[in-house]
Amino acid sequence: MSESMLQARLRAARLKEEIRHFCAHVMPADLLAKSRRHQVLDKADYLRWMRLLQTQGWAIAHWPREHNGQDWSSLERFAFEDELARQGCPWVIPFGVKYVGAVIYTYGSEAQKRRFLPKIANTEEFWAQGYSEPEAGSDLVALRTYAERDGDHYVVNGQKVWTTYAQWADWMFCLVRTDREARPQKGISFLLIDMKSPGIKVRPIATMDGYHHVNEVWLKDVRVPVGNLVGHEGEGWTYAKFLLKNERTAGALVGMAWHALHRLQRLAKEQGLLDQSLLRCRIAEYELRFLALEETAYQAVEAMMDGSENGGEASLIKIRGTELYQDIAAATVDALGPAGVAWDAAALHAGGLPPLRPDDAGGLLKDHLYNRAATIFGGASEIQRNIVAKVVLGL
Amino acid sequence: MSMDPEMVAMLRDNAQRYAADNYSFQQRRSVLHNPAGHGIQAWRDYAELGWLALRMPEDCGGLSADAAAVGAVMEVVGSHLLMEPILASAIVCTGLVLKSATPSQQANLLPRMADGSLKLAFACTDDPAPRAACELRGGTLTGSKIGVLHGDSADQFIIDTCNVDAGGVPALCLIEAAQVSRESYRLVDGRGAANLRFESAVAEHLGPERGVSAAAVISEVCDEASVALCAEALGVVRRLVASTCEYLKVRKQFGKPIGANQALQHRAVDMFLLQQEIAALTQAAQGALERPAAGRARIVSGARAYVITAARHIANEAVQMHGGLGITDELDISHYFRRLMVNAALFGGRDQHFLRFSEETLSSL
Repeated sequence: MSESMLQARLRAARLKEEIRHFCAHVMPADLLAKSRRHQVLDKADYLRWMRLLQTQGWAIAHWPREHNGQDWSSLERFAFEDELARQGCPWVIPFGVKYVGAVIYTYGSEAQKRRFLPKIANTEEFWAQGYSEPEAGSDLVALRTYAERDGDHYVVNGQKVWTTYAQWADWMFCLVRTDREARPQKGISFLLIDMKSPGIKVRPIATMDGYHHVNEVWLKDVRVPVGNLVGHEGEGWTYAKFLLKNERTAGALVGMAWHALHRLQRLAKEQGLLDQSLLRCRIAEYELRFLALEETAYQAVEAMMDGSENGGEASLIKIRGTELYQDIAAATVDALGPAGVAWDAAALHAGGLPPLRPDDAGGLLKDHLYNRAATIFGGASEIQRNIVAKVVLGL
Repeated sequence: MSMDPEMVAMLRDNAQRYAADNYSFQQRRSVLHNPAGHGIQAWRDYAELGWLALRMPEDCGGLSADAAAVGAVMEVVGSHLLMEPILASAIVCTGLVLKSATPSQQANLLPRMADGSLKLAFACTDDPAPRAACELRGGTLTGSKIGVLHGDSADQFIIDTCNVDAGGVPALCLIEAAQVSRESYRLVDGRGAANLRFESAVAEHLGPERGVSAAAVISEVCDEASVALCAEALGVVRRLVASTCEYLKVRKQFGKPIGANQALQHRAVDMFLLQQEIAALTQAAQGALERPAAGRARIVSGARAYVITAARHIANEAVQMHGGLGITDELDISHYFRRLMVNAALFGGRDQHFLRFSEETLSSL
């Protein structure tokens, strides 16, 4: 193993230590409790959380030093997301600090870097991702939202869908078509759109977990200054792929599976179900799959760092991580018995209690329902398999 | 102590080159039909290449190979389905000798094991039939063992037994093939094996004065064998995945390559994902062998259990996607399939390892 990899491993291990200490001593108890019960976090909770991460020096530590980051390796960022999720911390909302931030410092103009990066760093401005459309989901390249040049503006018309937290967003980074004639990948551009612009309408989509996280975003004659185009017109697909790669190598999947598996174990013990050899065996199966996931994921991240990757690593982590997480969540709901299907929306807010014990039953149920989509968003498992078939196996 | 990664890479390259030049699937056919059950020349070559002294310390002319280095050779053992007793003699029995034999016993055995003139096999499976248990009493051994891998060609055996003179504690002893009544046969993958019976046979107790626990030594060496088998499985499945992907591209049905079907693409991807997991778990298990016993059992048995299941799935899918050809003797696919079957029965099967993993993992609950 190279010296730099050894150093990265040591730093990642130290970081995990620091995070455990942070959760035990620094993290506000109310926020942690809410998160560990899988209750609904509102915008204020998330702003508090993201700013707390920035205070810790962690929110943008994976950025380059010239943009006030700490040049974290992919391994450190992966370990960071993994450990926070193991501790049951809130989701580290990636749209600003992980996605658009990286696109702006990599491809953006100096003016864009000055204007946007500081406010992304401390989550002064909240970002949403305008990617999917009704007829362009995993098949993103089919998107049809159109931006027409009009002087020093683009005029944008179209519809985005599944836009997470658009209801809170100040800005949305958006893939739009700027050339209908070019080959589908070549006609796409990457625009930064102010959500206060006239002509934007956000409509919530009710999902089965009862929590408002996704939206439709309608754009009608929305005027976007040309200065908000990132990089070059028609190169948006390149930036989008760069970003998607970040989206898929999420250490949080590993940590969430670990956290869920340990909750299931405690639950089985509390409910006196551990003596049932079948449940015990099921838990051991999940433990074994977790071991495989953890080892494979960390080796994949290291392969991506030392350039020995095969191109399928991110897909592998996403496929296996989401499959395992969903199976554990479903087993948890099973183990809850009647409490696993009792629904009271009030229980999902601080102070609320579900109709049946344990206190986090409602949250576990909500989480199970929400994460049913984990094998769908961010490139469905089928698309991930298409990618591996094409890129790695040459099929 | 871990080995220089460059050394490991060199070992791997040399092994791959040797096998590509000398152990192609066609060349292996003649070995399969050799009454000795393995290649005589190949065995000499392995001695030349240093593989038979892999595990031995440098002052015995060995390479002091760590688990990763052993794995580099075992991957090639798997990818080319080498038939010789590398695992049985050069890894398992060498390990037992190093960990339990006295210096003079080692001086007697190791040089001959390294130059290939002495082949050992480890007899560790008791006959389930209600025969007398295997016992060491007054320097002689009585009892029987079954399913001894490469027992057909071994010159001497290491027997896992119990020492009646010391109150029945586990013991390891060495016995000459001439002292044993042996019933030889082939395993389904073509390698040889034997059932052994001994009746007051003269046996040499391995290292009683060293005071090491035979049970601990056996557990350690069986773990090393399990990890070596993970690496062998990796060599096997890499071939199976590559051959299957190749076949999907060239075999045409209904006017197009069968690999153009998404259903088959996705199944091929699942084979590849399992291959990557096997690689990751093998590496993790190799690392665990360098650690103290406490953390070792869980990772080794977890890896072994996962690898056995994953490799079996890959082999099944490889056969299925090759259609009828997949079950023919002519194609290598069925030989890999049979090799994995045999390996899954060695040093604890899937359920035994899964149970051990489960106990180690859930013991605190």
